[in-house]
Amino acid sequence: MTDKERSRQELVDFLRTIQRPDYSHAVIDEESGLVESGLIDSLALLQIVTYLEQAYGVDFSERGIDPEDLRSVNSILDLIAREAAS
Amino acid sequence: MNLTALSTAYRSVSQFHENDRLIAWLSGQPWVIWLTPERRKSVLFYGAIIAGTVGVFSRKAKWRDYRALTPWLEHGLAFLILLGVLFALYRATVRFKQWPAAVRRRPQICFHLIFWLLLALLWFFAASEGFFIGVLSVILLSFPYLLWRAGYMLLSGQRGKAQNSRFRDHLFYIWPIWDGTNTPPGKGYDYLSRTMAQTPDSYARTVLGGLKLLLLVALWKIVLELIAALIYGDPKSPFSALFHGYTFGLPRVKQILGRQMAIPLLQIWLSLYLELIWETLSLAAKGHVWVGVIRLFGFNIFRNTYKPLLAQTVVEFWNRYYYYFKELMMECFFLPTYARYFRDLPVLRVVAAIFAAAFVGNMYYHLLQHKEQLVVGDWNGLWSLLGARSIYCALLTAGIAISMLRQQRQRSRPPAAHDGPARQLCILRRIAFVWTFFAVINFWNVIAPVSIAERAQLFFSLFGL
Repeated sequence: MTDKERSRQELVDFLRTIQRPDYSHAVIDEESGLVESGLIDSLALLQIVTYLEQAYGVDFSERGIDPEDLRSVNSILDLIAREAAS
Repeated sequence: MNLTALSTAYRSVSQFHENDRLIAWLSGQPWVIWLTPERRKSVLFYGAIIAGTVGVFSRKAKWRDYRALTPWLEHGLAFLILLGVLFALYRATVRFKQWPAAVRRRPQICFHLIFWLLLALLWFFAASEGFFIGVLSVILLSFPYLLWRAGYMLLSGQRGKAQNSRFRDHLFYIWPIWDGTNTPPGKGYDYLSRTMAQTPDSYARTVLGGLKLLLLVALWKIVLELIAALIYGDPKSPFSALFHGYTFGLPRVKQILGRQMAIPLLQIWLSLYLELIWETLSLAAKGHVWVGVIRLFGFNIFRNTYKPLLAQTVVEFWNRYYYYFKELMMECFFLPTYARYFRDLPVLRVVAAIFAAAFVGNMYYHLLQHKEQLVVGDWNGLWSLLGARSIYCALLTAGIAISMLRQQRQRSRPPAAHDGPARQLCILRRIAFVWTFFAVINFWNVIAPVSIAERAQLFFSLFGL
């Protein structure tokens, strides 16, 4: 399993813990918006920020929080990859 | 015709913007094919220049009360300087990485500081009437409109998304006078780029979505006029003749605050709820115009107001009531505070971010909204306009904080097991609470010529105190 696949699996597992209780889909679409698809509410974005800070050491105090970076599973994975490369 | 058929017919009419046959027909129209994203941007760019020019010159009359801004040359020079300022900001945005770390970390604060320094300069030279003081006045009166819009451009630079953008990609959302508030509908470059329709099919869908909103505007305006005639007895409403002068004669909250009549408590409460409905519909009608027009240009952006009266929590209402204002507060105040402060104290971290957005940001935004008083340094006038609002913002902050923390705690719990009427009743109770909360705090938001002490006395009398 590559680093990216591991990150993806861990992220999906984490999103399952914060998803809306009434979200009924079994599979998370990695391209579609997390809030727009109904998986999470906008408040849960804050928990994603905390998750990224703790799990990947992302320092948002320097770069600021861009809601676009947290829009979908793929955009969060891109952020993690950018952070690892920097 | 049974209920299901009726419901299907209603849905096909109300959701006409999702009708595949209509979309296919529209996407085949020559003008839809001709209006490629690049051509639409060109129309917007030149439209922005014209609208901005007209905007700067046509506002002269409104400002004349405050300063003798009669020579047209002042406006001409101010227009060119403002355009130059925006171009300089654009250059700063595309070369964002070259700026010192302190500016890169807080570009918005630096930008606002420039505004305040220029304002201080104007106050300092307030006594001397002259050509350049006049030009500076026009620039500073225009600045609050541009501050938030140009702020979104700087945010794009900070996020590294604007390096390859052109000046014309930014100008159309910053410069034009599309609407009267300082809140940018459609936010800025990042969001507009992401939502721009790229194919004739997606453009046709977006245009139909825009048309639907413009039709909704007409509907809400009719409803508002009906309320004005039937509930408030407004003789100016075109429907007042329809009811032959019959009206419930309920007062507006502004009249209650002005104590223009003695009113029973029940009627006051009714007025509070109706004011909330009235303001929601008014805002929805205005917002649908902005968003509808923006969608006609192919930007598939969110509505400004989306069914807030069905919100079940305070946070949800705030999110749905005035989406682009909330987004502005989130991006300029909430998220920066959340990213920087109290990282090891989760509850305080959330509360501080909410305070930054719902109180500090909200008050600061409205301070800039009263630009005429600001430019002449009329502090008493500003306090009379904003004093009561500070209590509104404090109550809003408390409501959002409690609602948000409560929701965070509940998120991990499974949904309630009960269904059917019990669940419906529970939902209704939540909606009623949200209505009551916003109707009550709105009491502090209505501008009226009463002191805070008088308003407080009236406020407590709502609860029999």
